[in-house]
Amino acid sequence: MAMNPMEQFAIKPLVEAPLFQIGGHAIHFTNQAAMMVLVAVVASVFLSLAAKPGRLVPTRGQSLAEVSYEFVANMIHSTTGPSGLKFFPFVFTLFIFVVCCNFFGMVPGTFTVTSQIAVTFALSSLVMLVVIVTGFMKHGIGFLKLFVPHAPVYLLPLLIPIEFISFMTRPISLAVRLFANMLAGHTMLGVFAGFVVSLGAAGGVLSLLSIGPMLLIVAIMLLELLVAFLQAYVFAILTCIYLNEALHLHDQH
Amino acid sequence: MAEPVHTTATTEHPQEGGFPPLDTSTFPTQIFWLVVTFAFLFTVVWRVAGPRINGVITSRRSAINSAIAEASKARAEAEAAQAGYETSLANARSRANALAEETRQSLNGEIAKAKADADAEAAKAMAAADARINATRESAKATVGTAARDAAIAIVERLTGDKVSSDEAAKAVGN
Repeated sequence: MAMNPMEQFAIKPLVEAPLFQIGGHAIHFTNQAAMMVLVAVVASVFLSLAAKPGRLVPTRGQSLAEVSYEFVANMIHSTTGPSGLKFFPFVFTLFIFVVCCNFFGMVPGTFTVTSQIAVTFALSSLVMLVVIVTGFMKHGIGFLKLFVPHAPVYLLPLLIPIEFISFMTRPISLAVRLFANMLAGHTMLGVFAGFVVSLGAAGGVLSLLSIGPMLLIVAIMLLELLVAFLQAYVFAILTCIYLNEALHLHDQH
Repeated sequence: MAEPVHTTATTEHPQEGGFPPLDTSTFPTQIFWLVVTFAFLFTVVWRVAGPRINGVITSRRSAINSAIAEASKARAEAEAAQAGYETSLANARSRANALAEETRQSLNGEIAKAKADADAEAAKAMAAADARINATRESAKATVGTAARDAAIAIVERLTGDKVSSDEAAKAVGN
């Protein structure tokens, strides 16, 4: 094969020399770092400048900013109730960061930040850290009741380990879901792009056949745009659900 | 990808065939940039963008709410004005009805009085007429009796040549 579909996930330093060392690890400025900086700067500038105080009739950009703001605010409100709104900046940042990384990664030739397990696992660990800190700050040691479901006492020796394991695997499932979705979609696109190149290079009738995988790429691209939004949404709403448990344990909000 | 310059801590990877997301030598760099960019975006959202967007949404909502409140106040005022208008209309109508009724009553009274006066006058006239008729009839009766006696006297005198007294004559004609 002319192209390795995995090559698009390779992290390459844009500057040969490491910027500096942290604890013996060299820190580089890489293609992924450039994308993350781009996402953070574009999202910050857009969200800060889109909404102009006093402009009651929104422009297109302001509408987008307001819609995403209210989308996340409603998401938090419906899953955790009013008490969860103090986590709005955190959940909103998570959603915006993930959705921008996903969408910017859809532009051919760019790098998809969220296709890296290190990034998604770091984000999901941050979510779990916030959940655990919130739980213990709100309920003290009573937060451990999270592992004790409402069930007959004789079932508890079985249920408590299950609850514990399911809680501990959350960061993994949260991270792998986003990572695997983005990785699979982009790998598929890479594979079909490889077909297009190979068939085109083969010459004759085979070159004409390369239109097939090309059309498939278009179709998968549309699907991936949906997945890009959906996975950011899933990431944000699962964060809300976990925060709701930390705030209210097993009670309804 | 994993150039020798990339890291000092891990083994080198072959150029092809590796699985880049699991290349742990890139993890410190990834985590570093994630922390920097995420913290930056979080700070901006928390301190600048969030309050700004929230301010715009809140001010729009309050503008809409105050406009709605103003509109409903205006509607209440309009309804009160209409109610007042209807009350005064009803008052005027009932006053007009009362006035009309009063007028009709007083007119009826006058008409009845006039009629009673006219009736009384007519009755008086009729009584006078009756009296006159009776008097005439009485005098006529008296005249007829005298005439019959005189005629009887004259007839007897012509036929017999006797003179009868007026008393006899009167007895004879049944007077």
